[in-house]
Amino acid sequence: MIQLETQQLERIKVTNELALSLEHVAVGYGRHVVLPDVNLSLQRGSFTGLLGANGSGKSTILKTVLGILPPLSGRIVLHPVAGRSLVLGYMPQRESLDPIYPLSSFEVVLMGVCGRVRPGFRIGGDEKDWAHQCLRETGADQLSRKLFSELSGGQKQRVLMARALATKPDILLLDEPTAGIDAAATKAIMELLEKIYETQRQTIVMVSHDLTTVREHAKGVIWLHEGRVLHGAVNELLTLDKIQELLDLELR
Amino acid sequence: METLREILSPHFLLRNSVYISLLVGLVCPLIGVYLVLRRLIFMGVALPQISSCGIAFAFALQAWGVLAHLHAGEHALAFLGATLFTIPAIIFLSLLVRRGRGSVEARLGTIYALAGAWSVLLLTTNPSGELGLLDVLKGEIVAISDADIGWTAATFCAVILLIFAFAKEFLLVSFDREMAVSLQKNVILWDALLFLLIGVTISMAVLSVGPLVAFGFLLIPPLTAHLFARNMRQFALAASGIGGVSAVAGFYIAYRWDYPVGPTDVALLGMIYGLAFLVQKVVALVKAKPADTVTPSTV
Repeated sequence: MIQLETQQLERIKVTNELALSLEHVAVGYGRHVVLPDVNLSLQRGSFTGLLGANGSGKSTILKTVLGILPPLSGRIVLHPVAGRSLVLGYMPQRESLDPIYPLSSFEVVLMGVCGRVRPGFRIGGDEKDWAHQCLRETGADQLSRKLFSELSGGQKQRVLMARALATKPDILLLDEPTAGIDAAATKAIMELLEKIYETQRQTIVMVSHDLTTVREHAKGVIWLHEGRVLHGAVNELLTLDKIQELLDLELR
Repeated sequence: METLREILSPHFLLRNSVYISLLVGLVCPLIGVYLVLRRLIFMGVALPQISSCGIAFAFALQAWGVLAHLHAGEHALAFLGATLFTIPAIIFLSLLVRRGRGSVEARLGTIYALAGAWSVLLLTTNPSGELGLLDVLKGEIVAISDADIGWTAATFCAVILLIFAFAKEFLLVSFDREMAVSLQKNVILWDALLFLLIGVTISMAVLSVGPLVAFGFLLIPPLTAHLFARNMRQFALAASGIGGVSAVAGFYIAYRWDYPVGPTDVALLGMIYGLAFLVQKVVALVKAKPADTVTPSTV
């Protein structure tokens, strides 16, 4: 358990508060609309899987929430906590990070604290200690001095998760955290994510194409299908009958 | 040893050439680190050529009578010409690289060839500046005034200060732009500042040592350091160190055996890179043998 999280823990216990709302949001690239009208709200402390076929708009919607892509229309509301803007912890797909950078894993995690350190100022000892704590929390402390580019897929995911935690996020947004890694690594990463969720009651949104993983670990699900957005609890939306129905729709 | 002592003496006749080589050797690799990491190596080739084209253009304006001949302000005029050509070129070329449509290398190659051709054409229209500028283009680091040293040192000090002060911001927007956006960083502003520093450094380096040497110091030391660096601090400091040591060693060789300084510097950098590459391969081979028997790393 991360020591400095105590305050956050207390804050996140209030579960009926909203963390994020999308109101009539259209997402896409330039003139290409991927999802024309997204309406959904996520409660604080929820763990939601974002499912859908390739090209259904999973990563696009995530990038729009993060501010990387502007919404084509509509409104995204990140509900403030005690008058303070929400901090988003982002874990990108590891393939998107160029291996040419000779960064140690610790340096990668330190990037997570950059949001709190003013430009031109050095990263202080407290923030460095926090980065080490995040590495320990994700079981990656022994990797801190290793080159990030030389790590295995699962190890990179642990380091990237530590970096996302280092931002002290109000919402964790994970883009395909188990893509391209073997079954053992997937299990380890998901157990780690579940531990973070259980201990910190973190609001988590996880993009995945892996139905089984989402069903086993997430509490809520958003299913994107041909421009439509289905949102519900895992035990409602991911029953065998429903899955069959949705898969039939996707195959048609 | 006697030659080295002579070169490093404060009374050495060509001391300004040693100082300028050392400054370029120390600072260009710090900027080159970002060209290598952002995979803009072809830009590192094209930009010094564009910069020298800007210098030639600035002097041609004097020859054409557009600007008055001001001997005292020639250095500033050349710097302005180089910077005004280099910074828009960086912005244009980086957009070209980012969009990645068509053959980016072919376009960069075309720009490089055009800039080189125009530099020579502009020089031929300027008989008064032709001799001195040809020396610059060839990398003859000889006629460096105290004022040139002062300007270069002041500019490079400012560049070093800003590069180290904003290292975490430059690294974040270069390595993971999306995360930088999610942390509310103004990525366009940081990119613009980085490109400004790259442009100013290249302009000053080309003005002092010519495009060939500037290109050599921009790229070869970072490429050499990249073979061994285990973190960013090592990478930047090793690149700068290799550049600085090579600059002094190159000057020593050139002075001792009467070679032109610039090409000697670049040839030496090439030899160091080749040697480092071989050493890295040997070290990797030695390390690989016992690793075959070790169990695979954990998830």
